[in-house]
Amino acid sequence: MAARKAGSRLELEIERCRSECQWDRIPELVRQLSAKLISNDDMAELLLGEAGLEQYLKENPVKQGASPRGPQLKLTEVRKHLTAVLDRGNLKSDFMQEAKLIMAKLNYVEGDIKEALRIYAWVGLDDLQLVAAPPYKLRMIAEGFSIKGLCLEKLPISASTNSLHVDRDQDTITCYEKAGDIALLYLQEVERVQTASIQNRSPKPGPAAPDQELSFFLETGLQRAHVLYFKNGNLTRGVGRFREILRAVETRTTQNLRMTIARQLAEILLRGMCEQSYWNPLEQPPNQSPLDDPLHQGHNTKSYALSRRPWLYTGENIFCPQENTEEALLLLLISESMANRDAVLSRIPEHKNDRIISLQSASVVYDLLTIALGRRGQYEMLSECLERAMKFAFEEFHLWYQFALSLMAAGKSARAVKVLRECIRLKPEDATIPLLAAKLCMGSLHWMDEAERFAKMVVDCSDKSPEFKAKGYLALGLAYSLQATDVSLRGMQEDLQRKALLAFQRAHSLSPTDHQAAFYLALQLAISRQIPEALGYVRQALQLQGDDSNSLHLLALLLSAQKHHHDALNIIDMALSEYPENFILLFTKVKLESLCRGPDEALLTCKHMLQIWKSCYNLTNPSDSGRGSSLLDRAIADRRQLNTITLPDFSDPETGSVHATSIAASRVEQALSEMASSLQSSAPKQGPLHPWMTLAQIWLHAAEVYIGIGKPSEATACIQEAANLFPMSHNVLYMRGQVSELRGNIDDAKRWYEEALSISPTHVKSMQRLSLILHHLGRFSLAEKILRDAVQVNSTAHEVWNSLGEVLQAQGNDDSATECFLTALELEASSPIVPFTIIPRVL
Amino acid sequence: MLGSERGVVEEWLSEYKVLPETQLTAYAATLHRKKTLVSALYKVIQDPNNELLEPICHQLFELYRSSEVRLKRFTMQFLPELISIYLRFTASRDRQNNGCIEALLLGIYNLEIADKDGNNKILSFTIPSLSKPSIYHEPSSLGSMALTEGALSQHDLIRVVYSDLHPQRETFTAQNRFEVLSFLMLCYNSAIVYMPPSSYQSLCRMGSRLCVSGFPRQHEKRWKEMCGRVMLDPGFMVQLLTGVYHAIYNGEWELGQEVLDDIIYRAQLELYSQPLLVANAMKNSLPFDAPDSSQHGQKVLKVEVTPTVPRISRTAITTASIRRHRWRREDGFDLTSESNPGSPILHIIPNLGETREGDVLVYLTPETISPDAATEGPEGTFTGEDSINLNDADEGFSSGTSVISQPVGAKQASSVSQRSSSRKAGSVRSVKEKEQPSPSKPSESRESTPRKQPVPMAADTSLEAIELSPLKKHLSLPAGHVVPKANSLSLIRTSSTSSSKSFDHVNGSQASGSGGIDGVTNLSTCNTNRFSTISLQEDRLGHAGEGKDLLSAGAPLTKQSRSPSFNMQLISQV
Repeated sequence: MAARKAGSRLELEIERCRSECQWDRIPELVRQLSAKLISNDDMAELLLGEAGLEQYLKENPVKQGASPRGPQLKLTEVRKHLTAVLDRGNLKSDFMQEAKLIMAKLNYVEGDIKEALRIYAWVGLDDLQLVAAPPYKLRMIAEGFSIKGLCLEKLPISASTNSLHVDRDQDTITCYEKAGDIALLYLQEVERVQTASIQNRSPKPGPAAPDQELSFFLETGLQRAHVLYFKNGNLTRGVGRFREILRAVETRTTQNLRMTIARQLAEILLRGMCEQSYWNPLEQPPNQSPLDDPLHQGHNTKSYALSRRPWLYTGENIFCPQENTEEALLLLLISESMANRDAVLSRIPEHKNDRIISLQSASVVYDLLTIALGRRGQYEMLSECLERAMKFAFEEFHLWYQFALSLMAAGKSARAVKVLRECIRLKPEDATIPLLAAKLCMGSLHWMDEAERFAKMVVDCSDKSPEFKAKGYLALGLAYSLQATDVSLRGMQEDLQRKALLAFQRAHSLSPTDHQAAFYLALQLAISRQIPEALGYVRQALQLQGDDSNSLHLLALLLSAQKHHHDALNIIDMALSEYPENFILLFTKVKLESLCRGPDEALLTCKHMLQIWKSCYNLTNPSDSGRGSSLLDRAIADRRQLNTITLPDFSDPETGSVHATSIAASRVEQALSEMASSLQSSAPKQGPLHPWMTLAQIWLHAAEVYIGIGKPSEATACIQEAANLFPMSHNVLYMRGQVSELRGNIDDAKRWYEEALSISPTHVKSMQRLSLILHHLGRFSLAEKILRDAVQVNSTAHEVWNSLGEVLQAQGNDDSATECFLTALELEASSPIVPFTIIPRVL
Repeated sequence: MLGSERGVVEEWLSEYKVLPETQLTAYAATLHRKKTLVSALYKVIQDPNNELLEPICHQLFELYRSSEVRLKRFTMQFLPELISIYLRFTASRDRQNNGCIEALLLGIYNLEIADKDGNNKILSFTIPSLSKPSIYHEPSSLGSMALTEGALSQHDLIRVVYSDLHPQRETFTAQNRFEVLSFLMLCYNSAIVYMPPSSYQSLCRMGSRLCVSGFPRQHEKRWKEMCGRVMLDPGFMVQLLTGVYHAIYNGEWELGQEVLDDIIYRAQLELYSQPLLVANAMKNSLPFDAPDSSQHGQKVLKVEVTPTVPRISRTAITTASIRRHRWRREDGFDLTSESNPGSPILHIIPNLGETREGDVLVYLTPETISPDAATEGPEGTFTGEDSINLNDADEGFSSGTSVISQPVGAKQASSVSQRSSSRKAGSVRSVKEKEQPSPSKPSESRESTPRKQPVPMAADTSLEAIELSPLKKHLSLPAGHVVPKANSLSLIRTSSTSSSKSFDHVNGSQASGSGGIDGVTNLSTCNTNRFSTISLQEDRLGHAGEGKDLLSAGAPLTKQSRSPSFNMQLISQV
């Protein structure tokens, strides 16, 4: 009894070793077995034959496409064992089948294809039972199919007629498909048995099974089918085969395979398919598809059945992709998580190769993710994915650069600049990178010093092609120009403006066909009030790019500076026919209309703007738009961002500086002190608040028109609308002051102006109006002080010079007053309807 | 244009007009085979002065409007050429010749934005999430990534609308031009498989010309016709890239790559991040081996056989290797007797054999708790959330692994580590190790035990100071100090998280210690520590990979000190 028990345990152990391919332990176990049961001689022969063959194959692996070996000396022993078993035929039929399968394999290894095929026909490979077969038996059958496929491939073509050729191709593939399916089943079974035994095992565990390595035959079975499909140009079946393999529950051994197959399937989905040619994994493939090579047209459905199939991922409501990109993304995310797992983290030299391999396989996946997500505009998610790639990224330029670009595309400017800095370190010769960084710095970040530094990097590098160098000068000029608007000291301002002009001139001469260079040169000239020169360059810019909205706008402003208001209005109308929803043009239009065509027209335009606003932003209230953090909201926001390109760059219509109004953008109910402190920080221009600022501006423009025609109550109503959005905006307060003045309530007006100035101390218009009131109240020196400050802030405001002259005159300082009046006169002659700086300056 | 071509076109024009409804299907089946017709049509489209242009545009629109999808696709194949011509005319302000092409493009657009019932077509897709089981995976098998905060927040699949609410357009304006054209390209790309090779060539021509003409690079091109710069929009360029990408792999290997370079050139000059991003990815992922140049027009969709054997050597430290690394139960292991005074770092956690597969025991040293301040930028984008993302990625280290924090005796310290783990909100789940009064009782770490267990107050006070200090303090201490007392379970740990963490700290500045612990702050700010920690780890795991359980307390120090990296470790402490 004890012996029997020992025997069965031994048999179990043998079975386990065969399943787990631990061939080196077999001879020892067989010796124990033979000692126990004498009648098992044939069994021992079988086992020794199998172990011998497998050991041989371990030492001399078969390779794809290798020439047949012929009889091997080392295998004679194996053949002897097997022939003995087969000749005697004493064993149970199950074991006889095994012996035959091993014999066929031996014949294949020795190159006797026909004999191998004969044995497979003899054993009835197609009818072998899969149900209740032990794992090792599954492996044998899988290998059997795989070898049969290999044999069929090697069989000379002449053996069959040409018409049968396609059929045999399909037979071969079917063999491989069956081999692959059974191999998957085998791997799943082995793993299941292993985990079960680990859980049940007594405290003293045996040596853990080593990680399974697939034999050549199993590997061939798993992969050869789809390789052949693609080779034959049958994309539909190939994709189907990929999907079948991927749907089978993963095992540790198949992880690597799954990772590659998932990636390859994603590649095919992205490179060779499109939305209209897609069918989802649970659907029947289309019968005819342009994907397939017409010469190899076959049936697109599977033609075989097995009594047992590998386990598939199942469950209620499991996700099944319905669309091309969806499936590609799912596959890539799976592949990515695996690639990420294989990231080699150590940096010692011995692992350099491993590191490169892991980097390459991950890098391909990230590139494909970029392609798939970029197609759908999901840059936010992409930047999150690429962030995960950073563990590979040490000194890897491509990954850093892609990460930076994705951050930029997702609107995360500040981080993008940081990452770009690392990119510059890795690739200092590439001019694009500092230019991108400069663009970001000049945009919503408003980091002017940084922008200047980046631009200088491009300019200082000597050997750049002219177009990039021109771009560098353009960036430099913009940085100077924007800085000039920000600084409050006149000397510095003039210095920066001169530098800006020089840079723009260089850019223009380096790249005479770039309309941007000509345009910014014109703009800079306009800002320094060289109107005729500016006109010349803006015309050039328009010749190069006829429908550029900024150039048209500048042209209109220049015409208005020359007091050709009607012409200016015509230009604006023309520009608006191309850009009907451009608010910044519409604002200028309102001003021009109230001047040339009277207030009614202007009010109509305001009404029109409100309609446009409503159709552009179907938002309900500010808190809603700021809340969204889910991807859907973000996606909408992304698209909005694209729309807002045509919107005004939200600058203060009076001073043109970006930072001044943005305080209003900060929280509505915030305390005044907090508001003042946030004055210098710039809120993101294209954030969800942007549309609301536009709306407030529309109301304020309407209010101004009403004030112009002396209707205080209507004006108040309009201001109230704006105040509901931004009660603490200095523009709102200033307009309130205007209304009070209109009503003759000087004290109120003074209070409003003072409040406006406490929020925005550099608001020139408030300063000017306040000093006028002070003037009337007889407080000349204070008025003069305020006006002098205002002149420092904006030296081209002719109203301020005029007021200053009046105050000085009232104080009896006639000489200075005269000078001020003259300056005012001169400036007025070149003053546009709205400041030139309202035109956005972006790279 | 030759007379014969003209004849072909005229015949086509008249043929369709008299075609009875019943023969439409048969007609559609034959139409795409008429190669001469297609090339003649291209010629007409390219010639603005051809009087056939207007009837052709009209007829192409009629075909597009028909119910037969193959007729639709016949018109669709000319889309790249039409867009190309339209944009070049716009750039040269020669618009009056452009009218019928404009009308055709707008007509197609207006047909495409609406579905069958005339509603606005909404194109959306679902962003798959790994935390939801799919037909290809199960969340648990992909490690514990599924349980990170980022993943959980997206647990519901999100449907993203990528194209909707396109209004009907009567005319082109500069403002709506690229909105319309991008949408048209989107439609083209969604049917690109059905387009003939001539259409791919036309697409490539269009891409090249639009991107390069008017720029210095044009001089390198074979084509010479001058025309000014054509304004492009980033979204449109991305759509263009999608089409070109398909063309590269479906017959236009050479030409497609040239266009790809041209688009990159243009995107660089315009400083457009989106097309540059996508194009870089396309260029970088091109297969190394070009297809056989003799087989022009071949598809290049290859699959290669991949060895299933992992190509990465087992000794290399990967996220997976750390996860794989399991701590086995050592029967009869006696901590007290094995404590080796010569071994400064190796202290064992016994009895963790029950750890489930895939678990990693990550030990939380105070260094791990270093706040995210290190990554914080002046504008504050690098705050907490970002670092959570870093952790998400790092699934092996922190996200799904059970983190055993030190058995800190001091309440203060434990609260620090708890705070840190709760701050990381789900990405690091701290499994508070039960302080075992006797080493014989196995301490278990279970996956998914986020609840904290009380830290007993009975901890050995002599350990306190040591355990609160970071890793290198252990190392620098005389060995005798570190050896735990017999009745205290020592979980003093070299930290594996510390190495992962230090990768994240790209700039190397490690701020440390969340406020509460003073000593820690001073001790873990050393920059060199980062590298040494890593190398030490490699050393340790490298040996472990060879199957030698170095982690047993009996491992001789000499073996370690032979390794150069370990020496480096020691040096860095000094």
